[in-house]
Amino acid sequence: MTDKIISVYWFAILIIVAGGIIAMVSLFYNSPYDVREVEAGILTNKIGDCFSDVGYLRQEVFDNANFLINEDNFLEKCDLNFNSTENELQYFSQVNVFRGSDLGNSFFEVVQGNKNLKADCSISKDYGKISKCFEKSFFTLDKSGNLYLIKILSVIDKSEKNVK
Amino acid sequence: MKKRGTILVENIIFIILNLLFLSILALFLVKQGSGIILLEESYAKQVALLIDSAEPGMTLKINMDKAKKISDENGIDFGDVVKVNENIVTVKLSKDSSYSYAFFNNVEAGTPYPDKEFYILKIDTK
Repeated sequence: MTDKIISVYWFAILIIVAGGIIAMVSLFYNSPYDVREVEAGILTNKIGDCFSDVGYLRQEVFDNANFLINEDNFLEKCDLNFNSTENELQYFSQVNVFRGSDLGNSFFEVVQGNKNLKADCSISKDYGKISKCFEKSFFTLDKSGNLYLIKILSVIDKSEKNVK
Repeated sequence: MKKRGTILVENIIFIILNLLFLSILALFLVKQGSGIILLEESYAKQVALLIDSAEPGMTLKINMDKAKKISDENGIDFGDVVKVNENIVTVKLSKDSSYSYAFFNNVEAGTPYPDKEFYILKIDTK
């Protein structure tokens, strides 16, 4: 009789444990893979390659001390396409260029995409439903050897596809 | 003094039930990990990220043996599993489901085609 009671308790414990495992596994596999950080990193690198090649500003974007890139031709010059399956724009990019002699003030800026997404970068990263940001900065030279600092910020929303 | 054998039978039933229970649990875990919806999503995102990082002139060869196995089981031609339309990758592993993900790299990903368990994508300029 005691053995049978122990068996009942044993199965009750098994059911509780199994329930816990099933709940955790379901929760884990039902959440989509969040690839936005990787995606934002790739976007930032691509924009970096668009501005600079082997340490020098590209002639296609910078010639005679002037930038040939602006909001209208940014996507075309950098071979980007910000269309997506969602209705709203899911991407935002901002590039700031600073002269080596004045790193405090940006002398050139270009932005493209959904400007509302930028605000998400100041919110804690722990809150998964907000957009993912990736910032990168690097130094580069022009043909005359002048130094420039380029800061690139990329933001990707796509919450519907990456967060439950 | 001879002992009765009922305790042994109870033990065997108890062990069998335990094993059955653990097998069902293991089967559930395996099934969850290899679900069609999960694979469609991971393949679509993987292909989109590969296209994002690719440069014109590159050829991408993606191992999709799991996708081939599942598409064969579901009666989907392996050649129809990956489609690229404009800048959207769609992966379809069953008749009732598919998953799409957008890439931002403005390149021509052409028509992806299968080669045994691999998928080949040729990247060109638009």
